[in-house]
Amino acid sequence: MEKGFVENGFIIDLSNTKNTTQLVFELSTIMEHPDVKGKRICLKLGGLDLKQSQLLSIKALIESMDAEIAFIDTTSEQTDASAVSLGIIVSKLDANTVVPSYKAENTEIKEETVEIKEESEEVSTETQNSEEKVIEIHADSELNNETNPINTVLDIEDTYSEETTQELSEIIPSEHFDNDFESLAMNEGLISKEEISKYILLDTGEVLPEGAEENTIDTKTLPTLYLSQTLRSGQTVNYEGNIFIVGDAHPGSEIVADGDITVWGILGGIAHAGAKGNITSKVRALKLNAIQLRIAGLYARRNDTLNVPYVQKTNEFTPEEAQIEEGKIVIYKKLRRD
Amino acid sequence: MTGRVIVITSGKGGVGKTTTSANIGTALAKEGYKVVLIDTDLGLRNLDLLLGLENRIVYTIVDVIEERCKLRQALVKDKKNPNLQLLAAAQTRDKSAVNADQLREICEKLKEENDFVLVDCPAGIEQGFQNAVAGASEAIVVTTPEMSAIRDADRIVGLLGPKEEIESCKLIINRVRPSLIKSNEMMSVEDVLGILEIPLVGVIPEDTGIITSTNKGEPIVNDEEALAGKAYRNVAQRILGEEVPFLDLDEPKGFVAKIKNAFAKWKAKV
Repeated sequence: MEKGFVENGFIIDLSNTKNTTQLVFELSTIMEHPDVKGKRICLKLGGLDLKQSQLLSIKALIESMDAEIAFIDTTSEQTDASAVSLGIIVSKLDANTVVPSYKAENTEIKEETVEIKEESEEVSTETQNSEEKVIEIHADSELNNETNPINTVLDIEDTYSEETTQELSEIIPSEHFDNDFESLAMNEGLISKEEISKYILLDTGEVLPEGAEENTIDTKTLPTLYLSQTLRSGQTVNYEGNIFIVGDAHPGSEIVADGDITVWGILGGIAHAGAKGNITSKVRALKLNAIQLRIAGLYARRNDTLNVPYVQKTNEFTPEEAQIEEGKIVIYKKLRRD
Repeated sequence: MTGRVIVITSGKGGVGKTTTSANIGTALAKEGYKVVLIDTDLGLRNLDLLLGLENRIVYTIVDVIEERCKLRQALVKDKKNPNLQLLAAAQTRDKSAVNADQLREICEKLKEENDFVLVDCPAGIEQGFQNAVAGASEAIVVTTPEMSAIRDADRIVGLLGPKEEIESCKLIINRVRPSLIKSNEMMSVEDVLGILEIPLVGVIPEDTGIITSTNKGEPIVNDEEALAGKAYRNVAQRILGEEVPFLDLDEPKGFVAKIKNAFAKWKAKV
């Protein structure tokens, strides 16, 4: 019998609730529990029919408590459809799933858990590996075998057989899986490698500042500057490490980092990653529209044919990542999963 | 070779200095002259956008002055015409990053190798204006037929007058709408000239094509059809010393138009 595993996960069983109001009440009661924070929640919704808007509010409620939905389990077709349209993964926990009892060593937590059980009679998970904060879910064989194929790459990232997991979680830090994810996603066709002429290298000659040399320092070891603001024309951010911006970088702005540049928004200005010569640096953005992309000593201008007079506000994002490969700037595009 | 250094200025913002610079520069380069455009509007640069060269700028005028690069490296060649080059302003600095002597020096160097150096001046009469004017020997004042723009242009002409190095000061009247002039709702070219009393070098009609050309990064002189483009080409010819008649901006005169015109004049008298 294989055992399923969801890292940092939590099953909330709401299949006994009779209507949406009751469901939301029960859920909010459970969500108030401090243990739920930061967890990946598996919601058992039973046969309740949920509209897209209702499911969205449930999702928002869970996210407001710093948790997220890993997947939902439902027998209702309508809920299933709503979940698909919201991009929530639907997976089946078998009806006979043995719900393990909570075996925490910490008595305080135990008490709280019992309390929840009294209130809503259905929380329920997990053998806690208290040291690593990893919670296992003992599901029966149906969870991970062929009858329930793993639909998405995200599942793969999170779900491993128990044998390997225990080793991995001890030895290998979580970043390890990033690379795997990339290659997996490439095989699945979720990421396409592009060398289109979206950017054209400029013939600038030697542009590195004096004394700077090409290097391959791991950017993960550099400090990171975290900014939550819109960068407007004429504003510059310069940092001896990585820069992470939550917001847009408008045309006319300039971001210069010794390491990586990540813009959680539209990048429209100039971005210079690895400004002191780090050729492993990357530039990523939800929408990569930089007027110039610079990585270490390579400068590339946006193709004239992509004349965008200003940042185009959009709800359609294809996150992109630029890096140096074989003396060129290559852009990886993550395509939508349809 | 000693080129001519011409500053394009106005005092008031938004009257079309940058558009005028881009178009005259492009028109002169099309005639086969070597032209350098200098954007001195530090912190609010636009000239690169109008020429569609923003994505090619690596070094700016501030990099040249602070000796991070050679002057030659900072010149960005136009996409279509290699005779035309741009020296961009720094977007992330302000006017105080440059002083008049430094700009004069750059103009001196550039005019050795070029026929024309056109300096796009920022709005205002503060340091940015003083810097831009420093290296120039000629000035073109841009105005629109509005009282505020004319008042500011008058101020500029007054400031340029005492400067010995400015040998000539000429006028471009921009965004002229003949139909409004006819109905006496806009000041006529003659009215403006009457106030400013400097030689006229061009009258540019209002043209919606300017908006699209700005957004595309393509100066309107490249459009053979556009009236504004034609007017700018004529300005370039006049700068080169040719006698070119001013465009007849009047719309075709029909019987109804004549009546309307007469009526408008009569109304104005009353």
